[in-house]
Amino acid sequence: MSEAVLNVEDLALSYPGGVQALRGVSLQVRPGEVLGIAGESGCGKSTLASAMISLLSSGAEITGGAVYLRGENLMALSERDRRRLRGREIAMVFQDPLTAFNPVLRIGEQLVDFQVNAEGSSREKRRRAAAMLSKVGLEPDLALSRFPHELSGGMRQRAAIAAALLMRPAVLIADEPTTALDVTMEAQIIHLLRELQAEVGCAIVIVTHHLGVIAELCDRVAVMYAGEVVEVAPVDDLYHDPLHPYTRALLSCDPSALVEHTGHLPTIGGRLPDLADPPPGCAFAPRCPLASESCATPPPRVRPAPAREVLCHKVAP
Amino acid sequence: MTPLLHLQDLSVDLPLGGLFSRGKALNILAGITLDLPRGQTLGLVGESGSGKTTLARAILGLQPSSGTMLFDGKPLASRSDYRAIRRRSALMFQDAAASLSPRMNVEQAITEPFTIHREPMGRRRDRAAELLAEVGLPAAFAARFPHELSGGQARRVGVARALALKPELVIADEPTAGLDVSVQADILNLMADLKERHGLSYLVITHNLALIRHVADRIAVLYLGRLVETGPTAEIFAVPAHPYTQSLIAAEPKPDPRKRRADLAIQGEIPGVLRRPRACEFHTRCPLAQEICRQDEPVLRTIAPGRQARCHLIEEKTLNRETTDELDHQSPQLS
Repeated sequence: MSEAVLNVEDLALSYPGGVQALRGVSLQVRPGEVLGIAGESGCGKSTLASAMISLLSSGAEITGGAVYLRGENLMALSERDRRRLRGREIAMVFQDPLTAFNPVLRIGEQLVDFQVNAEGSSREKRRRAAAMLSKVGLEPDLALSRFPHELSGGMRQRAAIAAALLMRPAVLIADEPTTALDVTMEAQIIHLLRELQAEVGCAIVIVTHHLGVIAELCDRVAVMYAGEVVEVAPVDDLYHDPLHPYTRALLSCDPSALVEHTGHLPTIGGRLPDLADPPPGCAFAPRCPLASESCATPPPRVRPAPAREVLCHKVAP
Repeated sequence: MTPLLHLQDLSVDLPLGGLFSRGKALNILAGITLDLPRGQTLGLVGESGSGKTTLARAILGLQPSSGTMLFDGKPLASRSDYRAIRRRSALMFQDAAASLSPRMNVEQAITEPFTIHREPMGRRRDRAAELLAEVGLPAAFAARFPHELSGGQARRVGVARALALKPELVIADEPTAGLDVSVQADILNLMADLKERHGLSYLVITHNLALIRHVADRIAVLYLGRLVETGPTAEIFAVPAHPYTQSLIAAEPKPDPRKRRADLAIQGEIPGVLRRPRACEFHTRCPLAQEICRQDEPVLRTIAPGRQARCHLIEEKTLNRETTDELDHQSPQLS
């Protein structure tokens, strides 16, 4: 196993009002892998993604732990040093690419600006931007001269991916990159990410609640629940041998997993715990079919196989 | 039995304003012929821009249209006809939270239809409690405002409001967009229960095929304002006839890493209505397109009992089990 390119260590983060959005998250991103982060709204997956690139929303406070990018602690760096890393070492693609671009500048100007730290003349940079645009399947001459609003949602997402990969970062973080798109465009963007990953060789962290997207794209998956990573597994194991009861419940709710037509779909009863006052024991216990008395105490992190970990009392090590 | 809703050759044209295009119109929907039998769910699927929502608006008279519409066997023509259909039908909006007025609490929001249609409601509080119970929310929710609701709760309030006047037809526009899978299942189960309890008929608009498969009795597939395929849901999913339906079904990512696809079912995106392709609208993206598809416009015709499709090429590969099985398995695994 190679050294992790991005290492999240025991990260804890709170939002105003004492909401503990991340509670001791540890997760490694290895060079060139595609890591999926799955979970329902409010589980902390987007917060984790923005912590990975240290773009936290105002009010968010790191209460413990650290994020290391190639050995450098992002939390200890000055904002200036962090900006130096963004783009070059780590980049991000958002759910709504319209908000990621400046609305009053053409795509071409923005893609040149993004290379502010790079060597070369502006002609050279424009040429590089054009090459990257054609790599993501856009007509470069056309796309360079367009304003963001003149592109369709799918084209905009392609342009955003081109922008993120311009400086060939070691890690690309994609937060729900296909959620706003139609299935047909979603399939194309998944395909594109897979091709680019093979070519650029960057690691991709993809955050999504769509289990189909993760199955299509990822090598490894981390499942989050109530601010914690409850299961990490290679993608095939996660879908064919899920160990955490929450992972199992989540997989069984997905209507696309049910082959037979059914009038009544399975659901997970109950609701997320209040993260301003999280339970001392297992956060999933109140909704868990296997819960017993022992679940009122903090669950152990079990490693049932070399590449797997599960946060649960009920899983045999 | 007469269907609850019958559409015959429905078209929607948007008049273009402007100095140079006065008198011209932009065609959005054409030749829509559909039946919604009582007590059934009809799923309307297609990509964004295919005209799904416009069709729903036309049915409720919120969008001028031409063609024939029969509601419960009676034609919809005048304003009072539409007022009647709006009284007997309800709309669940795509963005449930945004469809509720931020200044009205839940009680006011869900009882507003009584005021609008001047229906007697008795005591407002009792009626609100009744409706909330129907959708599985505690009566205390009556005092909440929309910003105090979660996504799933806002949906339930949307359902309660839709049910207020005991409608016969409920039009649900992307009823679960933006919800987590488990909450999505909750809402769909609730809709199924209510359908049974009140004999509702649903028109469900969505681009989520995994969902519609479990919800609809029949589906209608729209592409760029044309009906390209209709039929019973199970049959369409088993053997999709139209190349567009095949591509849509194949594009849906499967929650199983062993079923990854090496190829893409469909390229590009839906062209805008301003650049409507000639003849068959789908020929620019169709993997099977031939000369005839660029020359002649196909017509919607019956291809099997209860099934219709609008494609020149269906004869050649008519619902041939072998061909479609091949399409299914055309996706070699990636390792």
